[in-house]
Amino acid sequence: MKIADGLKLIEDGWIRKPKGFRVRFHKQTEAGVEAGLSPPHEAAPLSSDVTAWRYAWKLWQATQAAAETGAPGALYNITVVDDQDRPFRFYGSGDFETYNPKPVNDGNGTTTGDSNAT
Amino acid sequence: MQNEMSRLQMLGDTMTQHGTQMALALAILILGLLAARWMHNSLSQGIRKRYPKNKLALLMCNLLYGIIVIIVIMGTAVEFGAKPVNLLRLLTIIALVVTGVAIFLKPFIPTMPFKVGNTVKAGNLLGKVEAITFLNTRMKTFDGKTFFVPNRQILNDIVMNYQFTETRRLKIDVGIRYDQDLLKAKRTLESIMIEDPRVKTKPGPMVYVLNLASSSVDLGGRCWVDNKDYWVARCDLLEKAKLRFDSEGIKFAFPQLDLHINHDRIKAGGSFCPAPGGLVGPGAREASDEENI
Repeated sequence: MKIADGLKLIEDGWIRKPKGFRVRFHKQTEAGVEAGLSPPHEAAPLSSDVTAWRYAWKLWQATQAAAETGAPGALYNITVVDDQDRPFRFYGSGDFETYNPKPVNDGNGTTTGDSNAT
Repeated sequence: MQNEMSRLQMLGDTMTQHGTQMALALAILILGLLAARWMHNSLSQGIRKRYPKNKLALLMCNLLYGIIVIIVIMGTAVEFGAKPVNLLRLLTIIALVVTGVAIFLKPFIPTMPFKVGNTVKAGNLLGKVEAITFLNTRMKTFDGKTFFVPNRQILNDIVMNYQFTETRRLKIDVGIRYDQDLLKAKRTLESIMIEDPRVKTKPGPMVYVLNLASSSVDLGGRCWVDNKDYWVARCDLLEKAKLRFDSEGIKFAFPQLDLHINHDRIKAGGSFCPAPGGLVGPGAREASDEENI
């Protein structure tokens, strides 16, 4: 195997490099709970997971009061996903974290809402 | 006295002969220039609103203004009695001379080593170039101050243009303690860089052992990112390195000195001060008969 082939193998198989990040959440509306992404699929994703996690944390803080009462606008199960919508580990702890976890049914199946976020 | 009277009479004759022509020419000049100015202002405002970043449209607008001004001046001259053919000849000669001089002098005219929007360091100033005029360059530093730097000063100084190339190398230097797992630290630092979407795969990130310092093993992470991402990527990677090393249990080094107390010397009534070579770096940690504090 040539060095170039070896490097290609390493590049493809060692550590997956996401192309971007989004914040995924469930939003309480008048009609029920809807799944959402920010930024949406039509827009360019965030290039940094640090920024994405900070954004997720701020969304959690901003909607905490609404989430306690279950008012419309409350956000649940806020987490960061990669470009393929797979949950992305929090860089600080190396774990999958979810802010404001709550078991909800958004029509796509029930989310358990487990989290170790503090 | 008679002289002055004759002059006044000459002026009166001239005014009688050409007065109407002069007044008309003056009116054409003033009204024409005002109209040209008004057209230019309205047009450039409209262009700025509609195409804020289109420099070509603004250039065309300025060119149009110049052409209108020349037409107004020519109209004034024709009204005053000049022959249009002569005016056109004069205009052609002027245009040819200006073009020739510009082409001849172009290689000798110093050009600025940056464009508007570039981040540059000129002298002690680090900031973004906002405008370049004939005399000075307007720069905005990252703490919000605006500087007008004479072009002469910039051309005489070393200029660092951070956006001359598209990518830039990023350095993540960390120091770990001597008793830490060096290979694990290297792998961790490399993983942090590889995982980041902004870090280029070619050339790929590398981690080097830079130095075996007095209190630390210095690791140097090197990777390439786009210029626009440089600052945020650097901050993010440093933050990740700290947190990931913490979670992996890799301890960072800090400056330290080991103090070794020689009990035998103290018992024998000797000085508390260590013997020459007693205050040493990490190499002395292996001494078993001494106590580390």
